[in-house]
Amino acid sequence: MFSPRFKSVAAMAGWDEEALVLASLVVEDTPERDFNANKRSDLNLKCSASNSRRKRRAQRRSMDSIPVVVLNLDDEEETAECRKGSEKKKKTDLTESPIDKSDATKMEGNEVAEQSSSASCSDSVLPSLERLREELSCAICLEICFEPSTTPCGHSFCKKCLRSAADKCGKRCPKCRQMISNGRSCTVNTVLWNTIQLLFPAEVEARKAALAQNSREAVSQSPEKLSQYDHNDVRVRRIRSTGMPRRGDTIQRTGIPRTGDGLRSTTDVARQDEDAALALRLQREEFMQVHREWNVGYRRSSSILSARANLRALASRAISLRNRSWPT
Amino acid sequence: MNNASSSGRGGRSWPSTTSVSGSGKRIQKEMGELHLFPPADCSAGPIGDNLHHWIATIIGPPGTPYEGGIFFLDIRFPGDYPFKPPKVVFKTRIYHCNVDSSGTVNLDVLKDGWSPALTISKVLLAIRSIFLSPDPYNPQAPGIAHLYLVDKTKHDEIAAEWTLRFAR
Repeated sequence: MFSPRFKSVAAMAGWDEEALVLASLVVEDTPERDFNANKRSDLNLKCSASNSRRKRRAQRRSMDSIPVVVLNLDDEEETAECRKGSEKKKKTDLTESPIDKSDATKMEGNEVAEQSSSASCSDSVLPSLERLREELSCAICLEICFEPSTTPCGHSFCKKCLRSAADKCGKRCPKCRQMISNGRSCTVNTVLWNTIQLLFPAEVEARKAALAQNSREAVSQSPEKLSQYDHNDVRVRRIRSTGMPRRGDTIQRTGIPRTGDGLRSTTDVARQDEDAALALRLQREEFMQVHREWNVGYRRSSSILSARANLRALASRAISLRNRSWPT
Repeated sequence: MNNASSSGRGGRSWPSTTSVSGSGKRIQKEMGELHLFPPADCSAGPIGDNLHHWIATIIGPPGTPYEGGIFFLDIRFPGDYPFKPPKVVFKTRIYHCNVDSSGTVNLDVLKDGWSPALTISKVLLAIRSIFLSPDPYNPQAPGIAHLYLVDKTKHDEIAAEWTLRFAR
């Protein structure tokens, strides 16, 4: 993308590769203006209002680092060496300067200058990334924004975080307390999301993996897609373990923990219907399971025979269940 | 910077991080931030293994009757933190019109003014700011607020005496 010469000069000016890529994203069609663009965006970054002490500290450091590097611009060969050194430094993250043994003789004179410049080169990488990380992280979960959503007032949060904030804390921006029209229908800010994915692929991947694992766990816990009923998860399990639930029984039992809950007791009546429906569904599922077991056992026999057997089994099962459920 | 932050987070041994809730994750993040950039005159951290129960200290800022005192606060994070505010209670007795005898703090930020974008370090700074400028018009202890408005020197005297007696 960039010529090595350009890169080395940019490195001398305290511009690491990520910053260059970022800047080139802004002005991709005009590569000859890249360097100017870099400078401009750098200025913008520096001028951006920042209240945090950390930011100011980081800025001070990056400003300090630049003049040290500029001193070395006269020597062509040395810049290349420096670039190499700084790259290695980034990779190995050692405090000692990694110098190729073959190059060592060449660089003896400039070693001290080279070390300091490479140190400042690699130093300037971190503040800019740190600043970006801070800028692109969600104020609610404090992590890099995942699927960022931007409020009308211009603040961005993870879509999920913003939605739960709107649900639980009222429809106001968590940052500036301006009204958010509707937190429910928040859309992902695609430009920002793509930028984040480009800048912090590792974090995004980790977050995605965690999400996938969470959903997998949820699925394994409730293979019958009962996750929407997780407020009565415990009850569901109890019902399942006792086998055939009795309708009146479920309602009675579920009523007890609820009344203790206080808050939920008002919605009891509405939920009883839901519980009854759930119990019925569970019964049906149990039938289906039995059906499946029969199927496995009688796969060899002809389909009509097995179907008849299944029907018979279902019927007898239903009758026995009915007897048990509604004793007269 | 990067290294410093990661070692700051990983250096201590947190209770198992394999399955923490959303609130737990956020609290851990805040712990790392606090460790790296503690707010002026404040410190905070969990008590034992429970991430949701912290203890914090605020040092009485100089120039106030609370100067030199160390005030302990008990912080409890609700399960749906940061969407609900943490519960902050003074453990050290303090003569202040916005703190009552049971230690309850009257601070808008801890009630209706809470926002999920606030962190515990901001809350601690807000509490520290009421040391510097008590708000007698929204009192938690009306008697103290009255004295503050009527006779500030007397109020400051008593506050300094309480600081000496309870906060040292």
